Amino acid sequence: DNWRYAMEEGLTDPQGLYATKFKEEIEANSDHTVQIYPVGTLGESADAMEQAQAGLLQFIDQSPGFTGALIPEAEAFLVPYIQPTDPVVVRKFFKESVAINEMFHDIYREQGLELLSMFPEGEMVVTTMEEFRTPEDLAGMKIRTMTSPLLLETYTAFGASPIAMPWGELIGGLKTGMVDGQENPAIWIEAYDLDNLTNVMTYTGHGQYTTAVMANAEFYDGLSDADKELVQNASQAALDYILDVAVELDATGLAKIKETNPDYIINRLTEAERMPFKERAKAVEAAFVERAGERGAAILEQMKKDLVAAQQ
Amino acid sequence: MSEEKPKKSGLSGIVDGIDRGTAALERVIMATGVILMAINTIANVISRFVFNHSLIFAEELNSIFILLVTFAGLGYAARHGRHIRMSAISDALPQRARKILMIVVTGVTAVLLLILAWYSVQYILNMYAKGRVYPALGFPVYISYLWVPIGLFVAGVQYTLTFIKNLQETEIYLSTDLREADAREQELEL
Amino acid sequence: MATLMFSVMVILLLMGFPMMVPLIAGAFIGVIELFGTIDKTEFMIQQMLGGIRPSSLIAVPMFILAADIMTRGQSAGRLIDMVMAFVRHIRGGLAVSTASACALFGAVSGSTQATVVAVGTPLRPRMLKGGYKDSFIMALIVNSSDIAFLIPPSIGMIIYGVVAKASIPELFIAGIGPGLLILLMFSVYSMIYAKINDVPTEPAATWNERARAVKHALWPLGFPVLIIGGIFFGIFSPTEAAAISVAYALVLETFIFRTMKINDLYQIALSTGMVTAVVFILVGAGAAFAWVLSFAQIPQQILGAVGIDQMGQVGVLFTIAIAFFIGCMFVDPIVVILILVPIFAPVVEATGLDPILVGTLIVLQAAIGSATPPFGCDIFTAVAVFKRPYLDVIRGTPPFVAMLLSVSVLLIFFPQIALFLRDIAFNK
Ligand code: NA
Ligand code: NA
Repeated sequence: DNWRYAMEEGLTDPQGLYATKFKEEIEANSDHTVQIYPVGTLGESADAMEQAQAGLLQFIDQSPGFTGALIPEAEAFLVPYIQPTDPVVVRKFFKESVAINEMFHDIYREQGLELLSMFPEGEMVVTTMEEFRTPEDLAGMKIRTMTSPLLLETYTAFGASPIAMPWGELIGGLKTGMVDGQENPAIWIEAYDLDNLTNVMTYTGHGQYTTAVMANAEFYDGLSDADKELVQNASQAALDYILDVAVELDATGLAKIKETNPDYIINRLTEAERMPFKERAKAVEAAFVERAGERGAAILEQMKKDLVAAQQ
Repeated sequence: MSEEKPKKSGLSGIVDGIDRGTAALERVIMATGVILMAINTIANVISRFVFNHSLIFAEELNSIFILLVTFAGLGYAARHGRHIRMSAISDALPQRARKILMIVVTGVTAVLLLILAWYSVQYILNMYAKGRVYPALGFPVYISYLWVPIGLFVAGVQYTLTFIKNLQETEIYLSTDLREADAREQELEL
Repeated sequence: MATLMFSVMVILLLMGFPMMVPLIAGAFIGVIELFGTIDKTEFMIQQMLGGIRPSSLIAVPMFILAADIMTRGQSAGRLIDMVMAFVRHIRGGLAVSTASACALFGAVSGSTQATVVAVGTPLRPRMLKGGYKDSFIMALIVNSSDIAFLIPPSIGMIIYGVVAKASIPELFIAGIGPGLLILLMFSVYSMIYAKINDVPTEPAATWNERARAVKHALWPLGFPVLIIGGIFFGIFSPTEAAAISVAYALVLETFIFRTMKINDLYQIALSTGMVTAVVFILVGAGAAFAWVLSFAQIPQQILGAVGIDQMGQVGVLFTIAIAFFIGCMFVDPIVVILILVPIFAPVVEATGLDPILVGTLIVLQAAIGSATPPFGCDIFTAVAVFKRPYLDVIRGTPPFVAMLLSVSVLLIFFPQIALFLRDIAFNK
């Protein structure tokens, strides 16, 4: 059969690399074919999700940040200082997390989706016009975020003045000074030239840009056991591949920025400097729990345990 | 169009009342929708400058206003024969051909719009079941879509009525209250 | 499947169906073929709503509302008087004034139709009295209104920016160059026309008159300062600029010029609401149509068939210009932008073309399209406000279309016409 697979990025971006690897695995080990739809071809994220739920698409890659309208618990991935940033810990966390493999699996099931894997696309890095090392330094800085209450909450807690702005207006916003900064993984900052629009890039260690790959549950349940195994094997192979590549991509993005923009200031907050931000992140946790309820709180606790386990 | 319609009684009176009520509601939604967009957007600018705080729900509100204005206007424009069309070719045809063409056009348009109205109800029911909410406003998305099937249905009914009118009368009608001959005279508003 | 979708669309279009219907019917056929059932039609609804929903599109009704308020008030008249005071005495001065007034009103308004009304209504009688032929006058007004689409603010640029995810502030600045080039060409043509047809010239205004005209125009001249300045200095986004311009127009016409009562706002908003609805239902239907095309991967097939990969940048730009020009002859430019921009997006990215240059070229075709037969919203507007038959309105059009097409070609070979100002403004 021909299976349709939609995602939120281009073919050469992390989601595209995962999808391509997945497609190769499926096509090498079966007669099925996979057709990949890159970003923008099937509508906004929420629309593509509905198409996946209705079975128009068999597979979909979507970031929890965009799934919040449907699955508030998924916004746990937006809460600062919950996810690891060290590459070794990251691998262990995403492969073994109980929160991901059991709790989220069940929650996505309720929405008619079979969660295949979650993976990180890179550490969130903040680019700004001026350097900052403390929440006080961020005072008055207008930071663009995606239109998500939790992200606004995060930057308010960090001491900045967040502005929700569609991605399409970001470049114009930075060029005209309507915003003073933004957050994204290094690979995106490099790809969209955001380093040339700002002066400083700061590793705050507050999170990973995480994404989730799912299959339509009805479609998945209707597969033969052999095909189910095929899909599972392909998604594990693609996960292993992307966990290697994501680390490289992060490094590549950073290396390219350093090469093309040698004067660019790159700061990495020390553990001590991160403390006040971690302290303030508690307000975001509270906001998350308020939105996602008890089950959200349970997931957050489990993620913290998973993080500790992965660090062992 | 100019003469007073005689007061109808019974069922057709009720239908007539519903129709007039809908038209009035469409006008209110369109005008206030546009004004509210302006107020909402300006309020966001002010809030950002004065309170250093952007109203996160401003974007979502604007999306809702534009949906309401569009689907209220869909019915309203059908009622008054104001939908954009390319009539350069049909205008050049003889009267009889234009008449047949107009019957086909209004009939097919009515059918398509009514099909869409039906599926928009299906879509809303599905959306209701899934419970998708506006992240900032916090209320269910389906509520903001409720006028969509109404707008499509009203427009479909208007084209149906025009279709019937074109079958009954000898003249050509673009909508129930607009004869083709009058349309050529009428000034387009901007 | 693509052939069937497109042929149904074109046939229904030519039959004179309301323009949403050919798009809806085409998408409908696509959905049934693609999924083998009518049930998935609900996703057409999803896509229609998705097309209408982006909040950046709010700029469109806002600029229309501001233009509506000004068209009924004094702003346009004051701008026209100022232009006239300076150029009416040269050869072809009235015609040059008309073209310039269109450009200047374009800096105030984002809509070409509003420009036809605001500039055409007062100036056509004056030009008739001044000895110009009506066919020339109407073609001049209809085509000069195109300039309003290129000079910021521009509804076309906003829609392109939203669909292509390109920077709207940069698009705005990039439109100024081509807009002024068109104005220059139309002015030269007007002078030649006046010379050949021996149109009498008007008496020159005194410097006193000129000073007074400038003083009167200062308030309306605040629009471009507010809109462009506000966007350029990051005070507000293009969408917000549009809402601010509504407030400014309202303050000007109600409190300063006192041409409007605040109660009139409701009626004006109603009329804006209807124009918006009529356009946005097309935006929605276009989005549904474009979705079916993407789902069936038709763009890739079409572009593969024309061999776009071997064309190089100039070839791609010509293909884009031709596709949009033809599309905009028959269909509303907004629909054409919605359907064709996603089709060309992968090619634009692959060839490394500047999306701002591509956007300017596309918006130029959209502007030309609104004044070219058979379908042109500016022509319809002119038919309505001048109360002249369709054929009379378009009779004088050919030389203007030729000039506009030559600007397109110049833009392809000399992208700096558009990018020069952008590069200065954004330190590229
Ligand atoms: Na303009
Ligand atoms: Na045209």
